[in-house]
Amino acid sequence: MYPQVLFQHRKPDRINTFAEYREQGGYSALSDVIAGADPAAVIATIDDAQLLGRGGAGFPAGRKLMTVAQDAPHPRYLICNADEMEPGTFKDRVLLHADPHLLIEGMAIVAYTVRARHGIIFIRPEYENAARILEREIRLAREAGFLGEKIHDSDFSFEIVVHRSGGRYICGEVTALISALEGCRPNPRKAPPYPTDKGLWQQPTVLNNVETLAYVPLIVRHGAQWFRDLALTESAAGTKLFSISGHVNKPGCYEVPLGVPLSEMIENCCGGMRDGRPFKGCLPGGASTGFLSAEHYHIPMDYESLKAVGNRLGTGAVMVFDDTTCMVAATLNLTNFFARESCGWCTPCREGFPYLKDLLYRLENGMADGDWIGQVETLCGHLYKAYCAFAPGGVAPIESLLANFGEEVQAHIDLGGCPMQRQ
Amino acid sequence: MPTLTIDNRPVTVPDGTKVITAAEQLGIMIPRFCYHPALGSVGACRVCAVGFKEGPIKGVEMSCMVDAQEGMVVATDDPDAVDLRKHVIELLMLHHPHDCPVCDEGGHCLLQDMTISGGHGRRRYAGAKRTHLDQDLGPLVQHEMNRCIQCYRCSRFYQQFCGYRDLGVTGIGTRVYFGRSEPGTLESPFSGNLTDICPTGVYTDKPSRFYGRRWDYERAPSVCIHCSLGCSLTVSARYRKAVRHEARFNAQVNGHFICDRGRYAYAYASQPERPRDALIAGRPATLAQAATQMSERLAAIEKGTGPDGIALMGSARSSLETQALLARLHSEKGWRTPCFSADDAATRVVSSALNTLNATNTIALTEIEGADTVLLVGADPIGEAPMLALALRQAQRDGSRIITVDPRPVTLPCAHDHIAVSGDDLATAVAHLIIGALEPSREIALDADQQDRFKTLKQETRDIPAAAELRAIGHALTTAWRPAFVCGTTVPDPDVPPLMGLLQALVQTSCMWSGLFFPLPGANTFGAHCLGGSDALFEPLLAAVEAGQVKALVVVENDLFSEYPDQQRLAAALESLELLVVMDCVPSAITARADIFLPTQTIYEAGGHYLNNEGRLQVATPVIAGGLSIMDTGGGNHPPREFREDIPGGTPRPAWQYVAGLATGETDPPDVKPLLDEALTAGVADGERVSLPSASREWPSIERIGAGPEGDAGGLTLIESAATFGSEPLAAFSTVLAELTPLFGVTVHSETAQRLGWRAGDRIVIPDSAPALEVVVTLDDRAAPGVLLVPRRIGIDRTALRRYMAHLLAE
Amino acid sequence: MLRPRGAFFERTIEPLELHVSEALIEKLKNEIAAVEHPRELAVDVMMALQDHHGYLSDAARDQAAELLGMSALEVDELATFYTFIFREPVGRYVIHVCDSLICWMAGEENIVDHLRQQLQIDFGQTTADGLFTLLPVCCIGYCDRAPAILVNRRVHGPLTNSRLDELLQKYRAEAAEKPGSNV
Ligand SMILES: Cc1cc2nc3c(=O)[nH]c(=O)nc-3n(C[C@H](O)[C@H](O)[C@H](O)COP(=O)(O)O)c2cc1C
Ligand code: SF4
Ligand code: SF4
Ligand code: SF4
Ligand code: FES
Ligand code: FES
Repeated sequence: MYPQVLFQHRKPDRINTFAEYREQGGYSALSDVIAGADPAAVIATIDDAQLLGRGGAGFPAGRKLMTVAQDAPHPRYLICNADEMEPGTFKDRVLLHADPHLLIEGMAIVAYTVRARHGIIFIRPEYENAARILEREIRLAREAGFLGEKIHDSDFSFEIVVHRSGGRYICGEVTALISALEGCRPNPRKAPPYPTDKGLWQQPTVLNNVETLAYVPLIVRHGAQWFRDLALTESAAGTKLFSISGHVNKPGCYEVPLGVPLSEMIENCCGGMRDGRPFKGCLPGGASTGFLSAEHYHIPMDYESLKAVGNRLGTGAVMVFDDTTCMVAATLNLTNFFARESCGWCTPCREGFPYLKDLLYRLENGMADGDWIGQVETLCGHLYKAYCAFAPGGVAPIESLLANFGEEVQAHIDLGGCPMQRQ
Repeated sequence: MPTLTIDNRPVTVPDGTKVITAAEQLGIMIPRFCYHPALGSVGACRVCAVGFKEGPIKGVEMSCMVDAQEGMVVATDDPDAVDLRKHVIELLMLHHPHDCPVCDEGGHCLLQDMTISGGHGRRRYAGAKRTHLDQDLGPLVQHEMNRCIQCYRCSRFYQQFCGYRDLGVTGIGTRVYFGRSEPGTLESPFSGNLTDICPTGVYTDKPSRFYGRRWDYERAPSVCIHCSLGCSLTVSARYRKAVRHEARFNAQVNGHFICDRGRYAYAYASQPERPRDALIAGRPATLAQAATQMSERLAAIEKGTGPDGIALMGSARSSLETQALLARLHSEKGWRTPCFSADDAATRVVSSALNTLNATNTIALTEIEGADTVLLVGADPIGEAPMLALALRQAQRDGSRIITVDPRPVTLPCAHDHIAVSGDDLATAVAHLIIGALEPSREIALDADQQDRFKTLKQETRDIPAAAELRAIGHALTTAWRPAFVCGTTVPDPDVPPLMGLLQALVQTSCMWSGLFFPLPGANTFGAHCLGGSDALFEPLLAAVEAGQVKALVVVENDLFSEYPDQQRLAAALESLELLVVMDCVPSAITARADIFLPTQTIYEAGGHYLNNEGRLQVATPVIAGGLSIMDTGGGNHPPREFREDIPGGTPRPAWQYVAGLATGETDPPDVKPLLDEALTAGVADGERVSLPSASREWPSIERIGAGPEGDAGGLTLIESAATFGSEPLAAFSTVLAELTPLFGVTVHSETAQRLGWRAGDRIVIPDSAPALEVVVTLDDRAAPGVLLVPRRIGIDRTALRRYMAHLLAE
Repeated sequence: MLRPRGAFFERTIEPLELHVSEALIEKLKNEIAAVEHPRELAVDVMMALQDHHGYLSDAARDQAAELLGMSALEVDELATFYTFIFREPVGRYVIHVCDSLICWMAGEENIVDHLRQQLQIDFGQTTADGLFTLLPVCCIGYCDRAPAILVNRRVHGPLTNSRLDELLQKYRAEAAEKPGSNV
């Protein structure tokens, strides 16, 4: 229905094998690049393709590569972020189970552009199967000469290791991830210095999401223009993997051009709303984005359109709610997540989320008193002054609850509890 | 040098200054919890928020995280910032147990202050409080985790700043916990600083727990006299009892911190065994009786023998006042030159070391933090001068290379290269360093005379196992920008410090900055050196006693038995005296033998001046008038029911008063300042360094670099050296520190152990020792082979130990 | 050998070795030797020892510390941070029930109620037979299979009560067949 790029060779029950991948033209981009491409030209292509980071922040991938200084010291590192702990998100897992060599080739190409010697895939421990697949496929790629010392007799050497996390959401944040890799407590660190300047072991480090890296071989093969044209809207470029879950008939991970309306995705990919019930709202990009209400049912799903309504595309994890969902209870659940996963470094986040969780619990259970809304609003405001991006992310659902579902909140206050549980 | 405006007032600060520090320069204290000048900024607590109105940054930001930049306009009273700070305090109080009434921090608690000044008074959070279990962290530090505000200061201080690894942070989120893996005594000898840096009452001073509030205490600035560094202290006393030492900031010496030896050493002053009354022949007497008898009997002896028949013995732990008056007594009465130490070997090294110092090569402790290479020869900081180890750690964290050359397996709380060299080879080792510095280097130009001397040095210098390594280091020193040279004064022989001086002088020509640092054996060794002269040795004095030439000995604040190894010989000599006068504030083996005993005041009562190891004049202010503590005399009742005009137990007088009385016949305190000025050649201000000679370019004599070790090459040597706890004569009386003092042990290289048939953990009971002495064997291959290393320990039978070791050497 | 007169000797007894297979320790040592910074393997080493012992006991923690050149506290600083490292004894099968948004919407509470009832334990507890430990966990990345759980870090979902019963049955049978081993 939609052009499939990352999922072109997705199979229902197994990965796209190394042999198949090569037959489909895989590793040709890497071979071409290694044959003598100018790294700057490859970076320029990625930049020209307007590939935005798919890990949540949407930072232009080409621009990140450009920040690695020409004369930066060696060794340099390339890290693939496969932590994927944002609730609702599972696209990286599906991609790794579908076509792991896209990532491996992508990493090798990106490493070539910045002359990184070491590649690390940081993966959450729940993805043990994916980790084993990666280890096996990396070995195959190495045996075939696409990884290792002096690849294709060039002066470029690159190795990839898989690093399993011990499991914590904050480990997905760039600087916390670097702390974790160094065997330190995964607390974030404040830039500057930026990782591309002083990252892992104080060496220049590029970090990208799985999906971001997987697009690179295709962009190098087919060109920037091809990639940009994949999107439906003017400002967007490429396709995107969406993890769609919740009250839809067929939850799953779908590759869709950026700019496809939300309603279309739900109808076309997911077989519509579950039991045909009305769409009440959704989180468009994971737990750290805000709730969209029914009025945005037809919003084009791309970075700019969501920004325009004060929201974010995040990881593209669309969590869909029908009219049976209590938005206060949903927010309470999400806030519980942030309270549990706060790394404990800074005061507003460490103490603020449990506080907010308590307030939401009270609202849901008819114990809200005093200036409930005012208290929540101020707390949320102060969470923007936390140490890292975790806290502003966690505030997004709460603030959007007040903004988009204010009536439901008021009903909880007025009724002294959850109106839905009363029914 | 950006200029910015804070609360409408301009201030210009060096590049890289944080806004929070810039504000301090205007006298504006922005609230802070996690920020600490020594630990830096980490942005964790978020209570230092201020409003940025103009300039490169806009809005509310953390003043500890933002570098001051040109044109910034900062408002600390920005309403949004004030609101954030207020909420941060509220959030930090969510789980606080509100137990200020029983918290020792109450009254000097940053959290209390902030809660009040931030205006947080009403609890809104209705949820449950998270609670923690506390840990027993040993005898020094009390733990009460529920009061924690998660500023991470303790773990940063303990691990990053100090380099110890048994206290830190566990858990995540709201359950983060600061403590150890399991309850147990903290391993760091700097752990007491936790009580100073924790902004709340999580870590409080355990020995003085529940003794008083900050405002109850009499407090006075003082100096630590438990090693030669002379860290700055604030002493707290209450009910006539000194109960707490806190670190007092000193930019030159100790920075913000002190070591645990210094912090917990005060117990000697209030121990029940402290002698508080004068004694004549062991029987109590009034001060007047004892003083009169002392004068009369000394006069009588002097009549018989002439002034030579009376000898004076001072100490390195006495104040300059006491030392100066002893010197004056000598010059006025013609009695023998005072001797200040019974350890002649150390006195020789000290004088050669201090004669090496000059006005340009002497450096202060904190300057070492800025060195890029530090070479330590025959110095074991953790044992001899603990805060030196912290300074080295800061240097190393900054990328400095630390090299230790020592027969002992020197351990430091930071990475360092260690080269094991036997004690006899230290001078030769430095000669190799010098050769290394000169040989391949083009940087250091030598004139013809120096060329000659260098040639001789090269010819004379014997080969030792580490020679090549040492030469390479010597060469590396010429490429350092800021090398510092540290040399101990107990283990090396007297040739080593001047050779270190030569090395420093040579390297000086090729670097930006360099200097010498000599830790000394005692708190006021420098003063003793200035006042006693280098020729006042103990051995001749003892011989004169034995020969009957000296009939009377006045010993001031020195337990000779802990300094002089041959206990029997010393005892016999003292026995032969006609008169032994002892003045001291602690009980000791020699106090018990005194014909006349005069109790002296401690530093808390008398105060005094001290010269630290680099010759810095420092002053301790008296903090109490003296006397037995009300806690003791009242028998638990307060106020005490017995009314009298004097202070019970208040007899002791400053030692210098007794000495002055002997000189002038008066008992009124003389003005010592002119005396000091005279003795120290110029009027030195408190906190300043005494004037030192100007630099000379003379090459020192190099007697020992060619000579092989005494005895055969495979011989054994016994090294007694200072340990952190148990070695310093006053701190050794502290019962809490006694708990931390390890079992008495001997450390040897495994080869040596094999030769002796020892294994790690063996316990050797020393024959005929009283009190019975047991020695535990520890193996450490970083020790030089052949060295038997034991800690200096007050109160052990050193004669038996030496006898036993000599017997080993013989076999 | 010198045996001085009047001196007697006492020997300390060497501490008991922790019972971990030589092969595992050897493997970990080699892995550690192969990397530049041993600390980077901290999680792997803790996991390996935990898989061996069932949880990261104090002794295992100390062993990890020794292998990695870290202090016990430094290992604890990491161990207590992560979700999947247990510093307290757990059952042979650790059941992590995902309680994040999608699973909650799909009936996580029913799953928990059913497990509580079947196992007679609450969150944080272990069954009397030492087989099962019940813990909540954040979204495990299988929202397309909600409600989902992990059993020893292996995912199962979407779950119904009967599917749960089958699972418990399967693990009980496995335990009966191969007692004492969960690796
Ligand atoms: C709390 C937090 C958690 C994050 N978790 C992940 C994650 O699991 N995976 C990921 O790719 N990015 C995650 N990110 C985003 C990363 O910090 C980073 O922006 C991203 O990995 C960069 O890759 P990209 O530019 O390819 O998107 C997280 C960010 C935050 C603040
Ligand atoms: S915002 Fe939360 S996750 Fe980020 S540093 Fe602060 S406590 Fe840690
Ligand atoms: S224990 Fe004290 S110093 Fe340590 S984090 Fe808590 S409040 Fe800060
Ligand atoms: S280092 Fe020396 S002077 Fe400083 S506190 Fe310790 S014992 Fe006292
Ligand atoms: S003092 Fe600035 S954040 Fe704590
Ligand atoms: S919410 Fe349960 S797996 Fe994502």
